[in-house]
Amino acid sequence: MLQLLADGLVVGSVIALGAVGLTLTYSILRFANFGQGEFLTWGAYLAVTALGFVVAVTGGGVMQPIGPFSFGWELLVAMVIAAALTAGLALLVDWLLFQRLRARGAAITLVIASFGAALALRNLLQFLYGTLPEYYTREIQIAIRLVPRDVLGGLRITPDQLLVIGMTGAVVLGLHLLLTRTTLGRAMRATAMNPALARVAGVDVAAVIRATWIIGAALAAVAGVFAGLVGQIRPGLGFELLLPLFAAAILGGIGSVWGAVLGGFIVGLAESFSVPIFGAEYRAATAFLVLIAILLLRPNGLFGEKP
Amino acid sequence: MELLAYGSFFLCFASIFAVMALGLNLQWGFAGLFNVGVAGFVAIGAYASALLTTSLGWPVALGWIGAMAAAGIAAFIVGLAALRLREDYLAITTFGIAVVIQLVALNAQALTGGPFGIQSIPKPLSAWLGAGLAWNLAYLALVLGVVGLAWWGLERLVAGPWGRVLRAIREDEAAAASLGKPARRYRLQAFVLGCMLMGLGGALYAHFVGYIAPEDFLPVLTFQVWAMLIVGGSGRNLGAVAGAVLVWGIWTVSGGLLRDLLPQAEQARGAALQVVLIGVLIAAILVARPRGLFGERATVSRHAAEDAT
Amino acid sequence: MTPALELSSIEGGYEPGLPILRGASLAVAPGEIVALLGPNGAGKSTLVKAAAGLVPIWSGQVFLNGRDITRTPAHRMVQEGLGFVPQTENIFANLSVLENLQLAAALVPKDRRGELSKMFALFPDLERLRKLPAGRLSGGQRQMLAVARALVASPSVLMLDEPSAGLSPKLIGVVFERLQAVREAGVTILLVEQNVKAALAIADRAAVLVEGRERLVGAAADLAQDPRLAGLYLGAGLEAA
Repeated sequence: MLQLLADGLVVGSVIALGAVGLTLTYSILRFANFGQGEFLTWGAYLAVTALGFVVAVTGGGVMQPIGPFSFGWELLVAMVIAAALTAGLALLVDWLLFQRLRARGAAITLVIASFGAALALRNLLQFLYGTLPEYYTREIQIAIRLVPRDVLGGLRITPDQLLVIGMTGAVVLGLHLLLTRTTLGRAMRATAMNPALARVAGVDVAAVIRATWIIGAALAAVAGVFAGLVGQIRPGLGFELLLPLFAAAILGGIGSVWGAVLGGFIVGLAESFSVPIFGAEYRAATAFLVLIAILLLRPNGLFGEKP
Repeated sequence: MELLAYGSFFLCFASIFAVMALGLNLQWGFAGLFNVGVAGFVAIGAYASALLTTSLGWPVALGWIGAMAAAGIAAFIVGLAALRLREDYLAITTFGIAVVIQLVALNAQALTGGPFGIQSIPKPLSAWLGAGLAWNLAYLALVLGVVGLAWWGLERLVAGPWGRVLRAIREDEAAAASLGKPARRYRLQAFVLGCMLMGLGGALYAHFVGYIAPEDFLPVLTFQVWAMLIVGGSGRNLGAVAGAVLVWGIWTVSGGLLRDLLPQAEQARGAALQVVLIGVLIAAILVARPRGLFGERATVSRHAAEDAT
Repeated sequence: MTPALELSSIEGGYEPGLPILRGASLAVAPGEIVALLGPNGAGKSTLVKAAAGLVPIWSGQVFLNGRDITRTPAHRMVQEGLGFVPQTENIFANLSVLENLQLAAALVPKDRRGELSKMFALFPDLERLRKLPAGRLSGGQRQMLAVARALVASPSVLMLDEPSAGLSPKLIGVVFERLQAVREAGVTILLVEQNVKAALAIADRAAVLVEGRERLVGAAADLAQDPRLAGLYLGAGLEAA
């Protein structure tokens, strides 16, 4: 039991981060971006490349793990580089594609375009990196036993997994402060509410859109690195997370950051607890069941405003 | 002779895609419904017909009807849950159903054969015509007949009162609803009918190739059918059919070229590049020529004015 | 004297080929309150929205204190000193009252940034409600917040689109009384109104817009007596009336 809870929280962290980015772009750019999953994958792979680069440049070519973790500071640097590059990628796709469609005002066309962009991005990645799984580190981590086996089945968790949960909390808190305490954050929320009013109130909506892409893609990249840290880095990484991301964002209510976080953890836990019931192979279907349930019962999500 | 064999083979696939694209055109072109789970509904039809004709030994014609029924029932359930909500929720839900169907196809070994799929799906009339060119041509004629029938039926539907209401709803749901037209019921009908055509397309595919496996119904299939509709132009059946032939042509030619150009070891990467090319094509057409080659003309569509605020 | 706001032969509309504004012109002198009147569908709202940069202008020019701002993006106009209060959805319902004002203040250059305390002095209700999400305000409170939101950017010209819509007569009185105070503080006001009587009572001058063009312009007191005014509202032409 406890072990399932811990696994669910780890997966939930990745989903939560990705879903926060998705809910931001969804509410401010006003379309369901099917490319969000690919930003996770690109972030994870770009971090692989950046890590190789950082490790090579800083000498030795070897990464010394910090404390109990499986990786060194180089990975954190690589993650920041990957987040920046993924943000750049998102801006590029927006400039090439979405911006032109937005100018024509065809909201649902943006969804198809994002679907096409997602497939192109995924296959481009596969073309560049191949299909073999990658890892940031080959270090074997010893899981810490937090709870003995005789209490609810016990609980073992690796330091990396604990760090992922903790850093997710930190990142989301940072985003919350940005959205509530800064002018940019308020401008983003204002634009999500009413773009026309935002413009006459003095908000540069084009700049807000750029900031939204940067934040959404950077969060996706971080989520991708986390996913790669606690699992494998494969070209399908983000695609397989896309349905959980949507389920979490809709569950939380589009536009609600804390809703997306809560939704992410609920979907992660639901996936984790479904494994002993339906088997690991149907794990991915859990997110779909959550999605259908929320659409039938509470389509505005837990914290969503009435459309 | 070889050209004829290849030609009939190519056209057969293109026509099967045309059936799916006609279904998608009904949903997107006429009703404005965004279905991202085409591959899922095609898979349902393919597996349904394959199972009915192999495990139960039903005749192929009944298998096809079963395929349409199965896809229609699945569409009804999905539509019931998602159609009352904002339009992009349908996209997400259909995406989800395709993922789930892929999972079931892959893992429900007892039913679907798992990753190995279903073999020896009966080819209609092959007892008389053998498996060669004659059978290919006969099957092509059959599929063309289905395309013609679907086209004719859709044209009649769309030109009639039902189609007018549908388009009115697409243009302005509130206005149509105020005239007493229950928008949701019309959209659900269009969605189910479109998915039935996709299911039929899946059945046509299964009985043409003779075996099916989960990897035949990956998201790239959804994407291909969308590319066909967008390139051809949505809102007109001519667009859907022409787009199917054209995009399938581009797909086979580019696939052949990449196969010839790339060494054996790079084939997988070549396939990836091919999808990138089609992705770029779809995006370029959306940006440069949003109505496609033969799209609906002169619609004062709400798609044009939407979100202009 | 240079008008504070001058609209010169504005043609425009939402969709090409469907003009709503057909050569509308209007000048507002510094410190004036001008009421923009006219029957439904005359294009009053569209004209102020076009001036604010929300509706495409096909031809014609908009001058703010003598500077051509026709092609200035909407968000830059605020920084130039043109404020606009839309008729509906004129506050950010998901932001608190305070955040609405803080955001608006932060988006203009420092020398234009108004003090929140002054806004609260003008609209005491808002101070009491400042922590509340703006979506939970009543109709009158929303209108106050919308005006305060525009004022905190220290506009030299303030355009309001039917501030009286949906308000009780008593609240209309309160809102218009505040607008008087705003004008006394030196802000030029262009007021779109359906409520002709209330608008003419507060305005110095008024213009009547019919089918996208101004048809009757004059001192508010004169227009209030002018029999042609009713004729224009009833759809009769100027000549007939």
